[in-house]
Amino acid sequence: MALVLSSCAKTESAEVDKGTNQNLDADIPRLANGKPDFSGIWQTTSAADYDLEPHSNRRDARPSAGVVEGKYLPYLPEALEQKKINFERRHELDPALKGWTLGVPRGVYYPEPFQIFQREKDLIIVHQFGHSVRTIFTNGTGHPKDLYDWWLGDSRGKWEDDTLVVDVKHFNDKTWFDRTGNYHSDQLHVVEKWQFLDKNTIEYRATIEDPKVYSRPWTLSVILHRHREKDFQLIEDYRFTLDYEEFYPPKPPQEKN
Amino acid sequence: MKLRIILAFLISGAALPAVSYAQGGIPIETSFPLIESGDWKGPRLPDGQPDIQGHWSNTIANHNNFTDPQSGIPNDPTRRPDPRPRDQRAPSRVSDPADGQLPLKPWALEKVKEFQVGFHNPTKEEYIEPLARCAPAGVPKSFYWHGYEISQYTGYVLIQFNSGTRIIHLDKKPPLPANIKLWNGDSRGRWEGNTLIVDVANHNGKALLGRSGEFVSENARIQERYIFSEDGKRYNYVAVFDDPTVYTRLFTVTIPARRYTEEDQPHGWHYEVEPANHPGGELIHEHYERICAENNGAFGMPAAKL
Repeated sequence: MALVLSSCAKTESAEVDKGTNQNLDADIPRLANGKPDFSGIWQTTSAADYDLEPHSNRRDARPSAGVVEGKYLPYLPEALEQKKINFERRHELDPALKGWTLGVPRGVYYPEPFQIFQREKDLIIVHQFGHSVRTIFTNGTGHPKDLYDWWLGDSRGKWEDDTLVVDVKHFNDKTWFDRTGNYHSDQLHVVEKWQFLDKNTIEYRATIEDPKVYSRPWTLSVILHRHREKDFQLIEDYRFTLDYEEFYPPKPPQEKN
Repeated sequence: MKLRIILAFLISGAALPAVSYAQGGIPIETSFPLIESGDWKGPRLPDGQPDIQGHWSNTIANHNNFTDPQSGIPNDPTRRPDPRPRDQRAPSRVSDPADGQLPLKPWALEKVKEFQVGFHNPTKEEYIEPLARCAPAGVPKSFYWHGYEISQYTGYVLIQFNSGTRIIHLDKKPPLPANIKLWNGDSRGRWEGNTLIVDVANHNGKALLGRSGEFVSENARIQERYIFSEDGKRYNYVAVFDDPTVYTRLFTVTIPARRYTEEDQPHGWHYEVEPANHPGGELIHEHYERICAENNGAFGMPAAKL
């Protein structure tokens, strides 16, 4: 428990001391091609999904100093009004309430585990929540030329030393960044940086650019911890089926009410 | 919410597939080769697994009809019965018993017959085939609902279906507790030569086997064998189902599949890929995001183009 508490405290600071592990290069798992291997089951302990910005406690949120560099999001004036509406109606409008795909970066710091399956050419991320699947291509390919809109955007990664840098765009405007209604338009552009702090800890940074909603790019940062509990595994959670799953399958006569 | 579900069903479940799917480009074969279990002489991954990664799809039909796969949806009022003699269509997916029929208990057979009528006029929720609501296609329906992609990792085989994703554990972790029920079940596998053997428990029984309404209960236990051909171009899925709640005896389901590669043309059902954008001359196919419920398009249609 003490470990978890200290992890929480560390997580909610956007600044991380990277000088503590002198043996990092030797210590982290790597693929056959020498690149860091993020395979495993990961989860944040941060309060990011409750509200990216600093906030007091609320009935639906634990308090937090926030995970954003500079603390507050640089909303354009009209967009800030929309954010306020989202906040007032968050208990009906939050897409997560329907079990829908959380999007990028929210899926990464939503407080549920996700598993990374990594090959040299790609990383496939399976989120327990909604069992949604995201592919990050690391095979030198670029964004599609077709102008699609996607829930998870289109993710193309490259390595800068031991940091995986992922360019994500071609989003729709239907996901939120957290449960308070911080949001984006279909102009969203995310640049993620995934970097080991040690073999069981990833520092995740996401720089957000969206000229329809924000006056300038801004950056959030959370820590992801490897699930090391014995035999821990993802459990399929297609929660968008909960509205109708009771109707299947047909029941034997004696089980009927 | 309910209205939207019904609408989605009316648009896609009734109008689209009955004619276009049964007579369109999905069926390839009316018969297929047996593949024997044996040694694997093909390429292997560093951890020793036979390397069978890539895109695959069944060669027979979609989920319109489980036991007469190429004859269309039972009782379909929009389509004339298939005029071909039965032996000129692909065989039943039920390979044991030999008559190709599922050994349903009487109560379950009544439920299937009721569904086959109700499907065409869904006055009750349970007459809606759950895949039309974007539910995962589950086991075994995922293997005859669009093409799918298999990737492999130390300790895992991952299958990304058109509707749902399966993580097959080879990692010797213990199975999940019995009361946890899942659309795709809990899958524990191992390789024996050219055959991936997977034990599936914890099935929630909700996915149905097709538009013909057959089903298993949450007590079903399934042992799957994925038997790969020596040249790596095909495999047969051969699964024994044990479900004493619904069936009078064990039965075996056989589904043939073939591999798709960059040598194949993309296909909107079997091989849903696009050419990747990159500076090299090499053709690389990749698939786009598969999301169904959020798009409110009942058959996993891609997000609308701008």
